[in-house]
Amino acid sequence: MSGAILDASNAPVPRRAVDVCVIGSGPGGATAAWELAAAGREVLVLEEGPDRTGRRLTQRDAQMYDQLYVDRGGRTTVDRSVSIMAGRALGGGSVINMADVVPIGDDVLRHWQKTFGLSDFSVERVAPFRERAMADLSANVPDESQLNRNNRLLREGATKLGWRGEVMHHNRVGCAGVGACLLGCPVDAKRNARFVAIPKAVEAGATVVVRARVKRIEQATAEVKLLRCARLDEQGYHEVDTFEIEAKTVIVAAGAVGSAALLIRSGLGNTHVGKHLSLQPQLPVTAVFDDDVRFFRGIPQTFAVTEFEQRDDPRHGWWGFRIEAVAGTPGIVGSLLPTLGEEGRALMALYPKFTACLVLFPDEGTGTVTVRDDGRPLVDYVVNDEQKERLRAGAKAAARAWLAAGAKEVLLPTSPPLRLHDEAELARIDSVPFAPATTPLISAHQQGTVRFAASEKDGAAAPDGRVYGTKGLYVFDSSGFPSTASSHTMAPIITISRMLTKQLIG
Amino acid sequence: MSGTIDYSRRRMNDPSRPFGMLSRRGVIKAALASGGVLAAGAGGLFALRGSAPAVDGLKVLSAHGYRTMKHLAASCFPELRIEPPRLDLARAFDGYLADEPAIAQKEAGQALLLLEYGPLSFEGSLKTFSHLDHDAALSHFNRWSSADSLLRRQVAAGLRRFCSLLFYDHPATWAAIGYEGPAVPAEEPL
Repeated sequence: MSGAILDASNAPVPRRAVDVCVIGSGPGGATAAWELAAAGREVLVLEEGPDRTGRRLTQRDAQMYDQLYVDRGGRTTVDRSVSIMAGRALGGGSVINMADVVPIGDDVLRHWQKTFGLSDFSVERVAPFRERAMADLSANVPDESQLNRNNRLLREGATKLGWRGEVMHHNRVGCAGVGACLLGCPVDAKRNARFVAIPKAVEAGATVVVRARVKRIEQATAEVKLLRCARLDEQGYHEVDTFEIEAKTVIVAAGAVGSAALLIRSGLGNTHVGKHLSLQPQLPVTAVFDDDVRFFRGIPQTFAVTEFEQRDDPRHGWWGFRIEAVAGTPGIVGSLLPTLGEEGRALMALYPKFTACLVLFPDEGTGTVTVRDDGRPLVDYVVNDEQKERLRAGAKAAARAWLAAGAKEVLLPTSPPLRLHDEAELARIDSVPFAPATTPLISAHQQGTVRFAASEKDGAAAPDGRVYGTKGLYVFDSSGFPSTASSHTMAPIITISRMLTKQLIG
Repeated sequence: MSGTIDYSRRRMNDPSRPFGMLSRRGVIKAALASGGVLAAGAGGLFALRGSAPAVDGLKVLSAHGYRTMKHLAASCFPELRIEPPRLDLARAFDGYLADEPAIAQKEAGQALLLLEYGPLSFEGSLKTFSHLDHDAALSHFNRWSSADSLLRRQVAAGLRRFCSLLFYDHPATWAAIGYEGPAVPAEEPL
């Protein structure tokens, strides 16, 4: 029996009792819904965001950040050091990500076993689910013709410097090179949760309701849990009215910030809930070339410099940093550059000659999520001195790569901006303080706020995903990851969600 | 720096509140604390700001807040100095705030008030922000981006990112930056 995708902004949602309610429709929630519906469970998926596909993904910054991202694209850490980008749409973050597929590494799994006692997460056990995730995503390596000039220039610079790198797998099929991946794909080329797991879940009978916000979970130790929810208006700005759902099993998959905030609002879980947040910050580094690059067309992110990554790091599993090409539409690029006035106008006139990359680095889970009086999340995270050293090292490496590729200028978008023209100037990066709210750091992969641990002394959820102190309440998203799982978390989330869902089904 | 308020690491720097909590009293206190304007007193401060022309249809911003925002936009983007501008970022900001929580609306207004009195509060000027010429206003605003005060950096970062994102998202700006627009026509009007 086929289910349906419903829009709560259109009509009241009646009180309903189901076997399983899944909160969040991103890679974690959608995968769980698919498996559970296929196993015959009555599944209801609640998603706060809209269902937007095809040409309703307009490639316009203001409208798409407003509609497809949490807090209308404006969520940041308390000190405004890091912008927190997370999806709020049917399909979650997989709708607005760069479509990179980087599976969870063996080194990370070994680290989780050794450091967090997660013996259930052995390489041998996880491997089949990892392969399945790659298949679900139709993971493939872009061919040479799909590398745009921005990516080729980063590779050229890295090659000249003798650095290792890789062309990443992605989950695009039929890519038209639109280049606005962060605003959703208007030709629906991403084989993401919206186009794989959600349709499969619906086909197997799941009901999906968009524009539905879960405000609290009650009776979390009872056989039947009560979810207090709200319908949102068409734009998702305001709550229209409320409704209730009863569920024997609840799977929370609202992202590392959203899942923790929901548990905290509901008064659930132990003192680890909301702690150990990893943001995996990213620093943009831009360069200007003499001729047109047009980085805003083609696949924005395919090549990564892996030279500076440390695998099997004894303390962290995966450490160091990597450098990945990136591009953006005019609005987001303009908003990341610190120059205004005539200088800003002259700089943005060079937009077709820009290249850009991100320095991405794994971090320790030192952040916290709490909630304000009105229930909205607060993210507290401090970029510490060790991270600042890696930022400087990463910025230098990125600048070297662009200069080696022939850039006439490298721009570090700090306030004030740092404009570099040759290797001799790289030492100036040593004095960049990276003080809060001076550098546009970005987080696209939040993890770890309800972390899995063998003991409730060490984490908020058991290795099977059950939130400690509850019954039948699970987290199947990146909030369970006890350390950064990968440079791109979509594939790891699908991997772990399916593994834990299969375990739940028995 | 005279009159600097250190709001670092306090809960009032709430990310869901675009510019952190800042009371009207706090803004005035900061302004009064500045040596350059002590003699003016609170009444004098408001006189220095002057009156702002009424603006029809504002949902959240006051006429003064609208004026501050409009002057900031024109200072950041020379293209907006032509009247009437093709893009009214101040009205767009007002529209954005209309769908934000009440506390965010209030604090955005306070942030604009702080910016309006910034030249007096922090630099001893006898002009408020909207009375500076565009180059001076931009220089003042740029100094906020790297100020010692976290609060001013936060206000600057929040306003700059909002203005820049909307400005460069607008089709009227694309020809000048060599961008021909979305590769695939959108299905619905924006």
